[in-house]
Amino acid sequence: MKIFSVIAAILIIAFCFSFSLQQSKDYNNLYEGAVNDLDKQLSLLLTTIKKTGIATEEDREQIRKEIRSCRLSMKGVDFWFRYFEPVMYRKINGPLPVEWENEVFEKFEPPYRREGAGLTLAEQYLEEENISKDSLSALIRSSVEALATFRADSITQNLGSYHHFFLANRLYLLNLAALYTTGFECPDTGSVIPELRSMLKDVKEIYHRFDEAFPSMPLSTEYLAQYNKAIDFANNQPADFSLFDHFTFIKDHINPLFRMNQQFITRYGVVTKNYNDYSLNNNCNSIFDKALYVPQNTKGIFSLIEDEKLLKEIKQTGKLLFYDPILSANNQRSCVSCHKPAEFFTDTTQSTSLRFDRQQHLERNTPTLINAIYNHLIMLDGKHISLQDQVKDVTRNVEEMNSNEAEMLKKILSCKEYKDAFKKFLKYTPEEKEVTLSHIVSAITYYYADFSRHSAPFDDAMNHKQDIAPEAKRGFNLFMSKAQCATCHFVPMFNGVKPPYIGSEFEVIGVPEDSGFHKLSPDKGRYKVNPAHETMNAFRTGTLRNIAFTKPYMHNGVFQTLEQVIDMYDAGGGAGKKLHVANQTLASDSLKLSAAEKKELIAFMHSLNEKIIFEAPPAALPRSGNKELNSRKTGGEY
Amino acid sequence: MKKYTFAISSLFLLAVVSSDSKCGKKNQTEYDIPEHVTQENRALFIERAEKGKILYKLYCGDCHGIFTKGKDSIPNFTKTQIDNYHATALIGLDPKNHAVAQKMSSEQIDYVITFLRIRKVKK
Repeated sequence: MKIFSVIAAILIIAFCFSFSLQQSKDYNNLYEGAVNDLDKQLSLLLTTIKKTGIATEEDREQIRKEIRSCRLSMKGVDFWFRYFEPVMYRKINGPLPVEWENEVFEKFEPPYRREGAGLTLAEQYLEEENISKDSLSALIRSSVEALATFRADSITQNLGSYHHFFLANRLYLLNLAALYTTGFECPDTGSVIPELRSMLKDVKEIYHRFDEAFPSMPLSTEYLAQYNKAIDFANNQPADFSLFDHFTFIKDHINPLFRMNQQFITRYGVVTKNYNDYSLNNNCNSIFDKALYVPQNTKGIFSLIEDEKLLKEIKQTGKLLFYDPILSANNQRSCVSCHKPAEFFTDTTQSTSLRFDRQQHLERNTPTLINAIYNHLIMLDGKHISLQDQVKDVTRNVEEMNSNEAEMLKKILSCKEYKDAFKKFLKYTPEEKEVTLSHIVSAITYYYADFSRHSAPFDDAMNHKQDIAPEAKRGFNLFMSKAQCATCHFVPMFNGVKPPYIGSEFEVIGVPEDSGFHKLSPDKGRYKVNPAHETMNAFRTGTLRNIAFTKPYMHNGVFQTLEQVIDMYDAGGGAGKKLHVANQTLASDSLKLSAAEKKELIAFMHSLNEKIIFEAPPAALPRSGNKELNSRKTGGEY
Repeated sequence: MKKYTFAISSLFLLAVVSSDSKCGKKNQTEYDIPEHVTQENRALFIERAEKGKILYKLYCGDCHGIFTKGKDSIPNFTKTQIDNYHATALIGLDPKNHAVAQKMSSEQIDYVITFLRIRKVKK
């Protein structure tokens, strides 16, 4: 009898095991099937290119049609591919032929040149003049070759556990909010929503097979119900992406799904081994929360200090230093000279600020410091990798503050208040024996970074706290579609950092030297840091948060109003205005925005004005033992 | 059981602290710097490594080996592992194990990495 029950138990266990094995095999099969399908479609496309060629418009139309069906297969694997191997995926779905990248975990290394190929580029190539069959085939062959990577054991073994799933799903949801509905990587704007629908459906099947394969770590019924609602919503919306209600789609569907997925990540103890998760914060329940991704280190040398009281003291000292012209060689210039706290930490009156010599002007417009911490590379050309490096550079720059470490430290430590404070802080930085420039600049970055924590009415609307005007919502929907803003200014920071928020992007838009577009701005931009054909005149995409308060605009402050800026984009950038811009990353065609649409875009931008509480300047600056220094003025003189 | 581990680890720590203070000179770390490095940069390397050593002892040493008498062992890190991605990436992906390292500034991490890289490993 006993033996029977043991055998029965073994049989049951074996059965269950094989059942679950079968289930997890089904999940694997779904992946394999999707990869094979894409492979088959790409091969068909290659055959067509070879057979029919590209000589007549009819031939090209046939190829376009096949590219579109390939794209649908591509969307079927996007969920996994983009997460598993984003660099290789760019051979299948690359937005640009060449991208120079310096992701946050590669910051210490020189920028990487990464090549794209695949369907998006092939579709764009078809529209060019003097095209060749071979070049077109090469773009597709790269995609076929890239598939080998996604079949490798090192990739497919991820499918054997549940960890990858919730992380890939997070990236998928973030891309639903930031990329998939905007026409990013989709040159034919008419296909954006049809592709979205197809993808939503494909991922539903992925969800289904995953839940069967990993029944102890399921997506909740609440999640699946919410997902079905999202599908229904997308299916019932207009197929034209300019008429699609992006605002409601994100607010009522994607963001709630993101919140639930974040809870799964915590609840199931999901562990990552993937660089895509480097910046993302597991303890953040909304895409429109400033905690979504890890910003720059604001504490610098004080990074290991956690005592709130002490941190408050550091911040206060940082504030004094921020207003103190003691940092400059002539004791007349402070951080406030250009970054005026009451003006959103920028200077709204100058296109470009005065140089140290008071005669000439600097080359570039002063950027706002608010939300600067959400850039992975600092300065418009990405010269610096940390906030602290940037402050060091300004204080030593002959055109700006013209000081040096020894002089600054001597003057600062001649003030008793500073000396006492830094002596105290020094105890908490055991690796340093004396006060250094790092202590000074870290107090400064810690002070100003605090002003980046506030939210805007747009965030509150997305988080169901308080609604915004219908005009602003319409503006957002245009922003995400016809106006093509969101393909560079990404949700939710509206800067150049796109999901998974590990790098800052640079763009060439052909900003003129004068508002009459007589000449291209001679500033080489990113080229100065990373000389390459693609980086000439490229600048890091800035945030649109608080943009209504941070005029003048562009790297050289050439425009005074948002209307002027929108008009420039509407015209197709510098190239659209007939300037010679090599390698403009912005389409040179007109966006054909109406006056009413431009107004709506501006209404949306106003909803990004953050509710920042500014502070009064310090009552007095610390007294120095050197009497000459005591006549210096709070905030400096120019 | 917990008490027991606590007792052992505190004894261990005590031993470390006392051995450190008593024979500081003996415990001086020797560094292995490639020959082509100039004299000036050599000093810079050592300065950074010494800062890294202080941080390492305070924040990393509890788990990754301890400076014990006669034997100086840091497990888990080979020189190539340290070179790969400057190790910062490695730290970034494991929040549970490297909470302290994640809080460090990139400069501080750089000091620690420099220390690990150029210190002479006793065999």
